[in-house]
Amino acid sequence: MKVLVPVKRVIDYNVKVRVKSDGSGVDLNNVKMSMNPFDEIAVEEAIRLKEAGKVEEVIAVSIGVKQAQETLRTALAMGADRAILVVAADDVHQDIEPLAVAKILKGVVEQEQPGLVLCGKQAIDNDMNATGQMLAALLGWSQATFASKVEIEGDKARVTREVDGGLQTIAVAMPAVVTVDLRLNEPRYASLPNIMKAKKKPLDEKTAEDYGVDVSPRLEIVGTTEPAARKAGVMVGSVDELVDKLKNEAGVI
Amino acid sequence: MPHDGQDSTAIQAKSRLDGELLAVTSAALGAVSPLLERATQLGRERTVRDGRVAADLVEAEQSASHGLAWLATYIEALTQMQAWAERLDAEGTLGEVERLILAIAFGEYLGQLAGGIPMSQGEILRLHDMGLTRADAACLEHGEVRLLIEQGNTQARRTRLVELMQEQSANVTVGRTGLDDELEMIREQFRRFAVEKVEPEAHGWHLRDELIPMPIIEEMAELGVFGLTIPEEYGGFGLSKASMCVVSEELSRGYIGVGSLGTRSEIAAELILCGGTEAQKQHWLPKIASAEILPTAVFTEPNTGSDLGSLRTRAVREGDDYLVTGNKTWITHAARAHVMTLLARTDPATSDYKGLSMFLAEKEPGTDADPFPTPGMTGGEIEVLGYRGMKEYELGFDGFRVSGDNLLGGVEGQGFKQLMQTFESARIQTAARAIGVAQSALDTGLRYAQDRKQFGKALIAFPRVSGKLAMMAVEIMIARQLTYHSARQKDGGKRCDLEAGMAKLLGARVAWAAADNALQIHGGNGFAQEYAISRILCDARILNIFEGAAEIQAQVIARRLLG
Repeated sequence: MKVLVPVKRVIDYNVKVRVKSDGSGVDLNNVKMSMNPFDEIAVEEAIRLKEAGKVEEVIAVSIGVKQAQETLRTALAMGADRAILVVAADDVHQDIEPLAVAKILKGVVEQEQPGLVLCGKQAIDNDMNATGQMLAALLGWSQATFASKVEIEGDKARVTREVDGGLQTIAVAMPAVVTVDLRLNEPRYASLPNIMKAKKKPLDEKTAEDYGVDVSPRLEIVGTTEPAARKAGVMVGSVDELVDKLKNEAGVI
Repeated sequence: MPHDGQDSTAIQAKSRLDGELLAVTSAALGAVSPLLERATQLGRERTVRDGRVAADLVEAEQSASHGLAWLATYIEALTQMQAWAERLDAEGTLGEVERLILAIAFGEYLGQLAGGIPMSQGEILRLHDMGLTRADAACLEHGEVRLLIEQGNTQARRTRLVELMQEQSANVTVGRTGLDDELEMIREQFRRFAVEKVEPEAHGWHLRDELIPMPIIEEMAELGVFGLTIPEEYGGFGLSKASMCVVSEELSRGYIGVGSLGTRSEIAAELILCGGTEAQKQHWLPKIASAEILPTAVFTEPNTGSDLGSLRTRAVREGDDYLVTGNKTWITHAARAHVMTLLARTDPATSDYKGLSMFLAEKEPGTDADPFPTPGMTGGEIEVLGYRGMKEYELGFDGFRVSGDNLLGGVEGQGFKQLMQTFESARIQTAARAIGVAQSALDTGLRYAQDRKQFGKALIAFPRVSGKLAMMAVEIMIARQLTYHSARQKDGGKRCDLEAGMAKLLGARVAWAAADNALQIHGGNGFAQEYAISRILCDARILNIFEGAAEIQAQVIARRLLG
């Protein structure tokens, strides 16, 4: 069985995000970009499944700008076998919407015929949390989201999901799309020998047109604003004053 | 050199630092290069007797000779900075941070050429110390040189650089290093390892004076640290010295002890690769690469440090074996090691380097209760200020048996020559360790300056605090470019003892300055052992001493320059 792992190149989680002056989005010029942390967890899980003998091949795929090949090289250095880059944007500021990504992924799935798609539950840049679900719908496959444990048992995947208030374990028929949550595993460090091997692994380049998908946006961004700056506090003189302010100014009690 | 109207040239050129920075720095570099040629010529006039450089004359003129080494190091540093900036410019990645670093570096180092180069805090070398006259120094009045001295390193530039450092704090380095994507991927991975596994523990290991735990060493072995530059046919990964630099830098940034674990493996592997027999390579290298064998370097003696050629430990042939007798000291990681690269005198008729041989002397790794269980060998710990984690020992050998098969290369009398061949690599690696320590001082100082509030604002808002941080970032980049340059020379199979020595010489000073200034930013808290910077200061201090003390390094560079 093959596993397909979609990975997204996103603004690094350590970066202090700045909104562009015209409010059209986040400024990504000269900003550090990395693999979406949830996708890293998905790559790790796929490699562990391979090491456990449950799958034969791990294929990483990324959709976006040309520079996403760096992200794919990281996936290869971690242990993915080969990679596919679908170049679908010239400018880092052009974010491709989940539906378009899901349609392209559907094309990749039809070509590669994986038995499982493992992806991050969401990308930390726009927090859509939609691509995996849309892909499952487009393919007509079962889906299991927010996984904190994944076991492959024959033609079923047993997935423990992180839901409000606890854990839920479900069994879904394969092929399936599984989106992974934070606590599934701790991604490994790429070792020096694996980093060296990564450059020799195949990385195919495709375009959105190869899959007949139109990536032009369907949503319009009306505005992007930074969170409001915290206002200065005041010293209160008594408990009565505090209660009064909480009740009448803050309106929280 | 005529300088009619030089003031107006400087004024006209004011804006040029922004618009044509690379042209200005290039012109300035060209303008000051004759200074080195002239200083070298004067140095030769002072030290050559009968057509050869005389050791006694070099010693008699030691300050001037070592000054020449420092002058050459500065010129080489600026040359490498220029080359770095031009490479980035060509690929379109020379950004504001890199331009600020370049301008400040040129402004500062050219200014020091004119005003005095600090060989150490109390030893400022001035051009007239080397016999250079005002006429020789006229090149420092050149328009572009003046422009950079006056406007390259300004408070405004330093403040702006620190503003950008804070904005771009997610970047692993301040400014692009100019290394390729693969090396930067290696950096990212090792930075992550250091942040998650090393940094949180380092201060505790130091305070408790503990050995770095074996699970850390095992994880490093899995990542490939110990076989880094060993060829693939001998079980290593055949990576470049440049990649060794990146790994050493990032591990040392976590903790100098962790960044130094690979040093002994690197020295042992270089010794065996350069001087070992095929059988010795086959036997030892794969085990060193996998860290199944941890080596230690046993060269220094109580009475022979820098003057290694006069060492007295004897190795006497008995049957097929050798019996070693003598005392050694400053042996790092000795108790836990499996094999010693041991330098001893096999020819008792000699008193210099010619009678020395190198052994791959096997020993049993010790425990806390019994650190040196092997017969014929005893040892005691030397308590030290910093650079802990592997511990330092003095060793006594009394009839310690070494198999004759373990004479490196199978021929006696080659030891010193074999050791010399490893100096280039060891110095490059040590320069990289210095960069890592300097970077950890910068990380720690920056964090404290952001968090600590006085007079109603964060310390970093005060120009003399941010200025210190800016200079750390700039000098770290200078040391990096010198180090990467020597690594590239080594990878290209070229002789690089001069460049490696310069990288180590400057890197050690940069690390010490960074640690001292980062501690200063901490004020009284920096003097408390509770704060990590107190350890970083102690760790930084060793860099100017080991692998060739600053004075020896300057001596070696000077001897090469004088020819």
